[in-house]
Parts: sequence; C-alpha cells; structure tokens
Amino acid sequence: MIYLFQVLNGIGLGMLYFLLAVGLSVIFGLLQFVNFAHGAFYLLGAYLTYDLTTRGFGFWAAMPLATLIVAGIAALIEALLLHRIYKLPHTFHILVTVGLALVVQELIIIAWGPLGGSVPAPEGLQGVVILGDFIYPQYRLFTIGFTAVLAGLLWWLLEGTRLGAIVRGGSESPANMALLGYNTLRINTAVFGFGAGLAGLAGALAAPIRGVEPFMGIEALSVAFVVVVIGGMGSYTGALVAGLLVGVVQSVMTTLWPEGARLMIYVGMALVIALMPRGLLGRA
Amino acid sequence: MLNRRRFLTTSTLAAATLAAPGLVTRALAQGEALKIGVPVPISGAFAANGKFATIGALMAAEEVAAAHGVAVSTLDLDTEGKPATAVRKVQDAMAQEGVKLFAGGILSSESLAMGKEIERGGGAFMTTAGADEITGVDCNKATFRWSVPTYGAINETVRPIIDALPDAKKWYTITPQYVFGDGLLNAAKDVFAEKGIEHVGNSYHSLTDKEFSGYLTNAIAAQPDVLLLLNFGAQSSDTLRQAVSFGLKQRMTIVVAWASGLEQFEALGPDICEGVYFGAQYWHGADSALNRELVKKVQEKHGFNPNYSFAGSYICAKLLLEAAVKAGSPEGGGVAAALAGLKYQGLTGEEEIRAADHQVIKDYYLLKGKAKADMADKDDYAEIISAGKSFLAPEDAGCTMPA
Repeated sequence: MIYLFQVLNGIGLGMLYFLLAVGLSVIFGLLQFVNFAHGAFYLLGAYLTYDLTTRGFGFWAAMPLATLIVAGIAALIEALLLHRIYKLPHTFHILVTVGLALVVQELIIIAWGPLGGSVPAPEGLQGVVILGDFIYPQYRLFTIGFTAVLAGLLWWLLEGTRLGAIVRGGSESPANMALLGYNTLRINTAVFGFGAGLAGLAGALAAPIRGVEPFMGIEALSVAFVVVVIGGMGSYTGALVAGLLVGVVQSVMTTLWPEGARLMIYVGMALVIALMPRGLLGRA
Repeated sequence: MLNRRRFLTTSTLAAATLAAPGLVTRALAQGEALKIGVPVPISGAFAANGKFATIGALMAAEEVAAAHGVAVSTLDLDTEGKPATAVRKVQDAMAQEGVKLFAGGILSSESLAMGKEIERGGGAFMTTAGADEITGVDCNKATFRWSVPTYGAINETVRPIIDALPDAKKWYTITPQYVFGDGLLNAAKDVFAEKGIEHVGNSYHSLTDKEFSGYLTNAIAAQPDVLLLLNFGAQSSDTLRQAVSFGLKQRMTIVVAWASGLEQFEALGPDICEGVYFGAQYWHGADSALNRELVKKVQEKHGFNPNYSFAGSYICAKLLLEAAVKAGSPEGGGVAAALAGLKYQGLTGEEEIRAADHQVIKDYYLLKGKAKADMADKDDYAEIISAGKSFLAPEDAGCTMPA
C-alpha cells in the first residue's frame, strides 16, 4: 500500500517538476538557447509571491502578478542582453546566464535577506485529504490539477493556434518568417519571456509548499535540467513524461532506498544519456 | 562560486593605557595584532548561518580590541559548507595571513576536517558544530567546542518529552546521512532503548534534499506518536514546513532536536512553529547576565536580537581572543592552556571548558513554539520548557587527548 501512496505522491511531485522544466524546454526547443538562469526566474517568482502576500495581496492575486512580473523582467533582459549571444556557441549562453543567475540571487539576498520565509497556502486549500492511511495536502492536490490543465492549454497554444505556428516558424526558419513580414526578434523576446514566466509560475506555485530561501533556484535548475535531458531537449511531451517519471522514481525510492532517493534521479539521467542520447522523446 | 573574502579591520588602535593590565598575563609583542579567521559557509545552503556568524565574530573582536587595547582583525573564510574548501581556506589563512585563531565551522564535517588542519598548523579552533567526534574520538589539542554535542542535544530534548508524554510510545525519525545526523540518531536510539520507546522507523536523506514528502509518507505509514526531526538548518525547516502541510501537527507531536534558533523561527513563522518542540543551543530570551548584555548591545548596534549563529560565533571568537590576550600570543599551545579548565559566566549561565576533551559544559534548551496571539514581541516565538546539561564523560566519548 505504501508504494501506491508513494506513486500518488510522486505524480504530485512530477507535475511540479514538469512545470519547472517546461519553460526551459520551450526556450531551448524554440530558441536553441541554453538558459542557466531558469532557476533564478523560479526563485524570483517564489520571492515575488512571498513579498506580495506579506504586503497583504491574496495568493490568487500574487501568483499571476508574480508570473507576469518575472515574464516582463525576463523579456527585458532578453531584449537588452541575451539576443546578442544567440548565435554564439552554447558555452557563451551558459557563461552569461550563470552570471545572470548569480546576480538575481545576490539581489534577492540584498532585498529580502538571507533567511527566507514561508508562504501560507491560500484559504480553502490549507487542509488535507485523507484516503485511508494516506494523507495529502489539499494545496498539493490543487497544484496537480492546475498543472494538468495548464499542460493541456500549453500544448494547445503551441500546437493548435496561429500564434504557436508563428513561434515555431520563427524557431525553424527565421529568414522565411522575416520575409513574411514577421519581426523574429520580437518573437524570440516573447518566447523567452513566456518560458521564464513559466518558471516564475512554478516558483509561485511551489512557494506555499517549499517556502522561499535564496538558494532554491540552484536546486530547481538541476531538477529542471534532469527532466529536460531525460525527456529530450525541446520536447514538450518529453518534459511531461520525464517530470512524472522523475517524481515517481524519487518518491518510491524514499521507501525502497531513502538515502539514495535523490541520487537515483541522476542515475536515471545518466542511463538515458548513455542509452538514448536524445532523451525519451527528443527530436532527431 | 561566491568566494567572498573580506578582511575586516576592526581596530588598529593599540591604546595600552585603556587596557586592564591586571587581566593580561603576558603582553602581546608591541604592535602585534590579533587575527582571527572565521571559517563559515557564506555561500551555499547554509549561507544564512554564515552571515550572522561573521558579524557575531566581528562584534567579539571589537569588544576584545576595546577592552584590552589591542588591534584585532577578523578574516572571513567562505567554506561553502564543504570540508575540502574549508581546509583549503584555513591552510591559506595560516600560510598567507599568519592566522592562528579560528572561530567557526557550522557543519560537523567541515569542523572535523578543519580541527585537524589547525592542530597541524599550531593554531587554536573553537566551533559550534555538533558531532560527538569533535570532542570525542577525534578530539585534539587545538579544537574546542562551545555547543552541546549530539548526545546532550538528544538527552535534553527527547528525555523531557518522553517524561511529559508518557503515552507517546512510538517515535519515527528523519535523519540526514552524515556524521551529525548519525550522532543524533544513535543517541536517540540509546534513549529509546532505555525508556522502552518503540522506534517505528527512520528515513535517511541526503544533504541536498529539499523535498521531504516521500519521507513524510513513510512516517505517516508507520503511524508514530512522535516525529523526531534530526536534520539542521534549511533542511529541518523544509521538513517541518512540509510536515505541517501534511497535517502531521494534528496527528502527532513534532520535535526538532537541533533547531538553528531564532533565524529558523523567523523563516518558518509562528503558524508553523506553534506547538512544535525545538531543541536549542541558545535562545535570546535566556536569563543570564552575559546574554542580557549581548542582546542589548546587538539591539543597539544592529537592531535585531542575536540568534544562534550570531551568538555561537560571538562567544567562540571572544573566548579565543581573550585566551590569546591572556597567553600573550595567538599560538595554539598558549591559547589552549588558557582555555582548558576555564570557568566563566557565559551566554547560557555558568559555563566551563572541560580540560580533558575541550568541551564547553553548558545548558541546552527545550523550547515550544508559541501561538501568534501569545507572542509578546515579534521575536517571542517560543517558551523555554526546560534547560539542562547532559554530557558524556570524556572517556565515554572516546577522547584521548594527545599529550
């Protein structure tokens, strides 16, 4: 029975991991840009939610506001700085975005201090659901449902709308899109802001579960990369499958081999790299 | 990563006329400045503790400089919470800056490694890290420890709770898998065996874990009466926060054996801490003369109450520097001789540095989180339930102090 509970808990965890990774996957898939500042946008989303709730905003207002602010800041950074290095090798992407992540982290310490804080779950979602011996927080249940709906909306947006077609076109053939009269620079800025906004949203959603502290972005980045590498760089469906897989493996392993639970997700990533270098659902 | 290294000169004045000559056994050489290294994690997961530790040491340096008219400077060494980095920083400080005194080492793993290195370099080291080994099987001439080790922390938290809750017979533990966690777990198992408590399970986790829902699911399945958290810092905050969200506070008693003090309460907030038991090395509300004085000074200078990281670093630095002044030199041998056997009025009341193993004998506190409505001020998060001294005898702890 405990393993069934751990699988259910792992699905909840996996949906959070998916949300965390999907923005990174979108940015890499559409812009071919390696964004090591992704964890910093997650961090910023969490801290903005924390700040807004301590200022009296309700969680339901703070979450979208934090997401929009992160998306806006990310779009500004892309327009001013990052678009200049798209054509450079990936090592330059890493160098610049790692630096950016450190700047964001240090600014957060200056603004909010090194201690961190807690964000209460919204009213009505502070209790637990009891299924026999299994207890699960209502808020975590909400994040599963919310992320599932969001996953469907994102898929529809990217695959089933004219906007999604423009974005994909801008990624695959920027020259042709320019000839058709589209401003590919603006498309790239929008895509980057969108991907970073998803990280901010993940941070906002995670804040009532994890609280906030200045180094949470580093852990988030490592999980996001594991999910993206396992799922396949740039694969939307891959991020979903890998997020769930990582969450379930991690949760089940806490019963089977607790001290190795976290290690196993990295072992899984190494196996995928060795056996399927493009990831489970990566494009050739 | 953030390899910050600051050299903070706290005083260049050698106003000998201001010193109290009677307190100084042997004068430092003319113009000789005392330097004290503060090896603590300033970046990484334990950076919040390191930040307060550096300013605590700085305040101690300023006080000693003013009291004795000697120049004292502190050297911040970012260990990043990693033993290898800590050892390298200490080696550099000894070789390049001539530093002999070191106050710091928040994590047991880094403190054990640094203690050996400082002994080799002829210095003196005082730490707040918890593993029994520091003043036990790995004790050495150079290393002193202010904090109560894991044995005492468990005995001063688990025993009073067992006595207060006689029906709570089943306990579950969540433990970080390294020397500190194992020390707490082994001490807890000994108490459980002695008191007839059923240890219904333990979940080990790594030092990098942030997600504890799986471990909490294990705990729920074991249906304990008490959940005992044996992790430290941000990890114990994450575990407690997630345990409360799983509704465990309503289903069992939760005990954090080694809380990091006020900073942890501030990060968690009163709603999470209410009704939870916390073991603590230091509490700003403790009733002792030196503590009242420290709280007043820190409030005046920094505008906040001292927390454990601040207070621990402050007292370690102060004891080392006072000993160096008394010895007339920062060399390890003289400082160790001045510290061994010293009795003084400390932050927790009467404290004594045991000569046989260099362990400070002091109180450990059991706190209980207050409801927000019961807090007298913004930092009045907890009430002191009990305080006491529990220590293994040096021979039982395994310390054979080298001659």
